[in-house]
Amino acid sequence: MADHPNSVLLDLKDVSRSFAGIRALSLVSFSVERGTILSLIGPNGAGKSTLINVITGVYAPHSGVIDFEGENIAGRTADVVASKGIARTFQLEELFGSMTVLENAMTGCNGKSRSGMFSCGFALPAARREEERIRQEAIESLALVGLEERAFEPISRLPLGERKLVGIARALCTKPTLLMLDEPAGGLAAHEAERLVSLIHLLLEKGLTILLVEHNMPFVMSLSDKIVVLEAGVKIAEGIPEAVRNNPRVIKAYLGQEQ
Amino acid sequence: MRDKRHPSLSWALVVGVLALLPFVTPGTYVTGVMCFVALYATLACGMAVLLEQAGLFSLAHPTFFGLGAYVAGMLAANEILPPWAGIIVAAIVVALIAYLIGAPLLRLRGYYLACATFGLLFIVEIVLAQSGSITGGHDGLMGIPPLSVFGFTLGGDLDYYFISWGLCLGCVWFFSNLMKSRVGRAVKALHDSEVAASSVGINVPRCKLHVFVLTAIMASLAGSIFCFYLQFTTPSMFGFPLLTELFTMIVIGGPATLHGPVLGSVVLIWLREAIHVYLKDVLPKLTAEVDAVFFGILIVAILIFMPEGLAGSLDRLAHFVRRHLGRSS
Amino acid sequence: MTLLSETVQYAISGVTAGSIYAVIGICWSVVYLITKVLNFTTGEFVMLGGMLTWAFHRLGFGLLPSVFFAVACTTAISMLLERFVIRPIRFPTEMTYMMITIASASVIKGLVLLQWGSESRRIEPFFGTGVIHILGAGVTSQVLCVVALMSLITLSLHLFLNHTLMGTALRASAINLTGARLIGIDVGKFRLFCFGLAGGLGAVTGIVTAPITFTGYEIGMLTGLKGLVAAIAGGWSMTGTVAAGLTLGLLEGFGAGFVSTGLKDVLALLVMILFLILRTISLPGMRKR
Repeated sequence: MADHPNSVLLDLKDVSRSFAGIRALSLVSFSVERGTILSLIGPNGAGKSTLINVITGVYAPHSGVIDFEGENIAGRTADVVASKGIARTFQLEELFGSMTVLENAMTGCNGKSRSGMFSCGFALPAARREEERIRQEAIESLALVGLEERAFEPISRLPLGERKLVGIARALCTKPTLLMLDEPAGGLAAHEAERLVSLIHLLLEKGLTILLVEHNMPFVMSLSDKIVVLEAGVKIAEGIPEAVRNNPRVIKAYLGQEQ
Repeated sequence: MRDKRHPSLSWALVVGVLALLPFVTPGTYVTGVMCFVALYATLACGMAVLLEQAGLFSLAHPTFFGLGAYVAGMLAANEILPPWAGIIVAAIVVALIAYLIGAPLLRLRGYYLACATFGLLFIVEIVLAQSGSITGGHDGLMGIPPLSVFGFTLGGDLDYYFISWGLCLGCVWFFSNLMKSRVGRAVKALHDSEVAASSVGINVPRCKLHVFVLTAIMASLAGSIFCFYLQFTTPSMFGFPLLTELFTMIVIGGPATLHGPVLGSVVLIWLREAIHVYLKDVLPKLTAEVDAVFFGILIVAILIFMPEGLAGSLDRLAHFVRRHLGRSS
Repeated sequence: MTLLSETVQYAISGVTAGSIYAVIGICWSVVYLITKVLNFTTGEFVMLGGMLTWAFHRLGFGLLPSVFFAVACTTAISMLLERFVIRPIRFPTEMTYMMITIASASVIKGLVLLQWGSESRRIEPFFGTGVIHILGAGVTSQVLCVVALMSLITLSLHLFLNHTLMGTALRASAINLTGARLIGIDVGKFRLFCFGLAGGLGAVTGIVTAPITFTGYEIGMLTGLKGLVAAIAGGWSMTGTVAAGLTLGLLEGFGAGFVSTGLKDVLALLVMILFLILRTISLPGMRKR
């Protein structure tokens, strides 16, 4: 399957989830093809973040199937989903505030490392070797996003744009197949957004598949291979950027919201 | 990485001073008191990791300490097992209890774990006091033999001094390795953001449970050695006053570091000795509950006026001195 | 004694204890809901109420003035604790709140021990010593009056919270503190009020039970914890706390009667741990996070 460039990586079928009787997601279906970038857009409260949380296992879906590499991951816990090869960033960063930039990235390697409590505590050679490997991987990820000089700074000292990049580096450390970016361009200055665009292109070249949730329309339109539009938990449109841009339902949904 | 000084140098310094201490102080008084310092420091160290690094409010550490003491003590006093085997069995029993309590309760947030473990603290104290036929009840467990390993009986204060400090420094070393490793990062990560921790593949409930059980085992080991050193235990040694003392050590030392609780333990135990020496004429009955008045006031004062504790303040002082020396040279 | 009269006897002592636990539970939840402080000194206020009444009475004051002074003193101590110990904490987190209230409880307990010794103290019954017989079980008028008084307290608190402006404002700040601050509620005063209320009510419960069960420096923490059990099991709500407190009291009454008096206290704490464990078990598919 891996040889097939356009095979389906992630496939959602009729995924629903409600909170206290209110439907946040209603029968959402779409698929993400390997090596492409799919953007999820929609007005505030459309259920974009909920959908990411459902795919990554933060919430379990109430019904529906989430196929990832041919395996149904619906209802699995977040750490299991992460170990399958889905990584994510968060809208509100959710970085580990008590650590440095490097330690944040190194924590990303946690799922792929095996040293137990005792070998770590007694600093056994195997644990030390693994620690060295983790450090190398973390530095590589940081270099990829262009933050290697800031590796030893505490998170709190970084500006917003760089914190978003730390989140991406941390996600990359999990060696994902699918990377989900939750509003990565939100609050970024123009030059930071450009840096992000080139980073995303670089990641695509490296063979990653990307699912993007974003408000910044020019950003989405220029990057995406495919766009899925959500409104009030329902998928209202799906297609290539030009088609979605001219879709009357999408225009109505956005104009009605004064977005 | 954060610490640019040579950690091996400060370790060598601490080990050297501790190794020489019993030989430069007159009599066995200092050596004996320093045994308590080491055992309490071991206990406080584990609890500080749990409270501050992992954000898990376990108030049952005096209980794990006490169970370690009682299980090992009872096995040895009734000649069921030799003392060294009793220590291991006690650690296993305590680990099991911590696992059974922790597995469901660590899912709860903050205060609820505190409530449940606080309940456990009282339950164990009451049960130990009530089942007099096997534990000796309120009067305490007597007839605990001294620690012996393969025929060698360890009797003197000096033997226990080295065992206790061996355990204490071993624990500090273990935890400092652990907190710098992937496990430590996972623990800190789940304290900072559980959802982000699980998004990078950390099994949050299992990670919490592991460090909870680990620190309980450390407490049990310290407790077992405590009982062989004293050759006597009562239920009230492991109750509420000990919890207050632990809090005092942790806040004196500043909980964010590992050497903090050890420092806190030194201060607390010597403060207690000072209270007992200087106030024994003023205050008629100096029980642990009376000591707790002083410690309670100390906790309040530190939390209000010096929240980083002694270790934090010393670190800041060292930083300040180094910066000024650096500027003048 | 017949089994029936025994059962009735245990039920009566259970309801008495239960009504006390309910009121202590309300003391915990009033403070917790408004200030988010789990106030481990609650039990010490119960102890202080009884011991101060005994102390004032011994100094030669009449019983009623002693009670009045004891309640006033405990209320004041509780408010001072909030204003000068809890509020000035530099980094207020759940952990520091917990540490500082446990430390304060140790201080109060130790000071009482130093001042008045470790003996159990008894106050004379306020409500006479008459005994009424119900189905062969004897009930002292003190016990009856305690239950009546606790019901009265609970009822008036309920009316206060639901039918006065102050009560509504209190409930509002329990739900949303920031919102309450925005509409001009002085949260600092509310915190003081809640601590004062908890201290005063705690003292009252300690005073009325002192003639039945004795009081002493060490009763505080365990009595307080049983109130906490009621509050947690009752989900911090008033009706829930009352129901849970009564259930706990009955359970303890029968447990002590039919099983063992010595392990009575263990029962309540076991109930708390079991309850907390049950709370964590949710049905499949109910996973929220």
